[in-house]
Amino acid sequence: MYYIEVSALDNFAQALCKSYAVFSPFAKDPRSPGTDYSYARLSENTPSVFNPYRCIEPLKAFFTHPLQKVAGYFGNDDQAALSEKTVIFGVKACDIAGHKIQDFVFLEGVDVDAAYAFKREQTILIAGDCTDFKDVCHCLAWDILPHPLEGFDLSLSPLNDGFLVEVGSKKGQELIEAHPSYFTPAKESQISVRRVKREGLQERLKRHLFPQNLVPKDSVQALMRQGYNVDTWHQFMLTCVECGGCNFICDTCHCFLLNDKPQGQVNSRLRLWDSCQYANYARVAGGANPLKTRTQRLRFRFTKKFDFFVDNLGMPACCGCGRCIEVCPGKIDIREVLKDVAKKVAAAKT
Amino acid sequence: MSPHKNIYKPIEATIENIIEETPTIKTFVIKPREHFEFRTGQFIELTLPGAGEAPFTPSSDPNIKDTIDVTIMNAGRVTSMLHACSSPTTVGIRGPYGKGYPLDTFEGKDIVIVGGGVGLAPLRSLLFALFSRMDRYNKVVLRYGARTSKDMVYKHLLPDWAKKDKVDVVTTVDVGDPSWNGNVGLVTTILKDMPVDLKNAVVIVCGPPVMMKFVTLKLLDLGFAPKDIYLSMEKNMSCGLGKCGHCRIGRFYACKDGPVFTYEELKDIPEIWD
Repeated sequence: MYYIEVSALDNFAQALCKSYAVFSPFAKDPRSPGTDYSYARLSENTPSVFNPYRCIEPLKAFFTHPLQKVAGYFGNDDQAALSEKTVIFGVKACDIAGHKIQDFVFLEGVDVDAAYAFKREQTILIAGDCTDFKDVCHCLAWDILPHPLEGFDLSLSPLNDGFLVEVGSKKGQELIEAHPSYFTPAKESQISVRRVKREGLQERLKRHLFPQNLVPKDSVQALMRQGYNVDTWHQFMLTCVECGGCNFICDTCHCFLLNDKPQGQVNSRLRLWDSCQYANYARVAGGANPLKTRTQRLRFRFTKKFDFFVDNLGMPACCGCGRCIEVCPGKIDIREVLKDVAKKVAAAKT
Repeated sequence: MSPHKNIYKPIEATIENIIEETPTIKTFVIKPREHFEFRTGQFIELTLPGAGEAPFTPSSDPNIKDTIDVTIMNAGRVTSMLHACSSPTTVGIRGPYGKGYPLDTFEGKDIVIVGGGVGLAPLRSLLFALFSRMDRYNKVVLRYGARTSKDMVYKHLLPDWAKKDKVDVVTTVDVGDPSWNGNVGLVTTILKDMPVDLKNAVVIVCGPPVMMKFVTLKLLDLGFAPKDIYLSMEKNMSCGLGKCGHCRIGRFYACKDGPVFTYEELKDIPEIWD
């Protein structure tokens, strides 16, 4: 464990800019207390900003893109553009939890997505504790704490005049060893301050979530099966405009479609993020479509998250970041959908 | 750079020959320019350069290593462009994907194969694979139905198969016509009284979803066990590798966990026939 002063952190980030593409959060509206934060490329002489809660964009957007060339054929033009070495500041525990799904999809299974694996290797994640939360935040409902415990290279915990720095990987350790002048070993007293701060925020978030009466994590898979035919899916679908925003902003959603286009002598294969809320998502040649209705597609989104991934990865594919709630023009709230299913499943039992 | 190959990049291949099976179905004989092997029942992604790709299960003998046959119905965007091609045409292939038919578990058994329309295509590959080592299987019983006699694929092969030792072939058409003097009726009407030992038989079914549904119900009715009924699930498979998400069926992906599933695996999943 190390300690770094606020000004030293700025200098550290600036030093990193010399050999990495450094992304750091910035406040969208710095004068507003509840401002959103967004990632931007850190340029020289701009201070890095510590975000109190997660950014608007999902972490996945650094590793796959909405529209991306993934292959050229048949020439030698192969991998998509080589990615530069990247450091990302401002990653939160929910981002890391959600990103486990992306890693599972692209790094495991039948075969590895080489370009994703390379980007992952090239990227250093500098996480941080949450010191506040958004109204939609509900990580605790999924047993995810608002401070990262794993999955980061370095993690920053704000103290009163600087940051405690926890090392989470070999890459993180090497980064500190390459920039020793900014860091000092942490003192026991500083580690206790971190504990007190973490517990304080966790307690506040717990009080925020208590009245929401969210469904317990270990009940969701049974809810998906028992609630397959409840009218929740129909009721909540009514305001869905099929924009796909919930999928694109989600750090666990990973669906994509491959598309080809001619480009001179070498053709391009493109990968586009796709949304299971789109009418043609599951359509096959000849016109058959197992997901014809918005009702079926809304349910499909939930059964993927709360049934499929519990079976296949042992965890639900929701990190409680609330991005899908903020983005939805139809005000479809993932928490409310689950609660409604639970209510109707319970009612059917009595 | 990463040690892994690019999973999205097709290898180059040539359509060497095109055989017209029916007015809407053609068999494309494809020669890959790199070594390419598949197990029967596995599928490939076939790319028409610059236009797109679509999943198909080869219809040829997996023991043939230098070419692959793919029998394709003109049904969608990519397939209609493929039907407009003449040989030779350069195409791309990726794969093979999926698990294929578990031939080992078929050994010593009566093997019933039920095909509907162009669904006989992957089953032809299976038949060739079985015929190449018939000593390992008790018998092969083929039941094939098409909409009309004009929609039957591999018409020239069916009589040869029927003449083989330990092979029993019955065909039917949904709608008869003057040129047809065989059975008329849905494929479900030729499933009773099959010369098989129910306790030691497996059934492999491939055809349109509605046909697979009613064939499965009929087979259950006849006393076949759900674990002995193998179904080819048609889904929108884009990547073929369990990454793109499209072909999910319950807790499975059709591409990597299938595309062949036993009914036992699928029976508790809602809406599998849609």
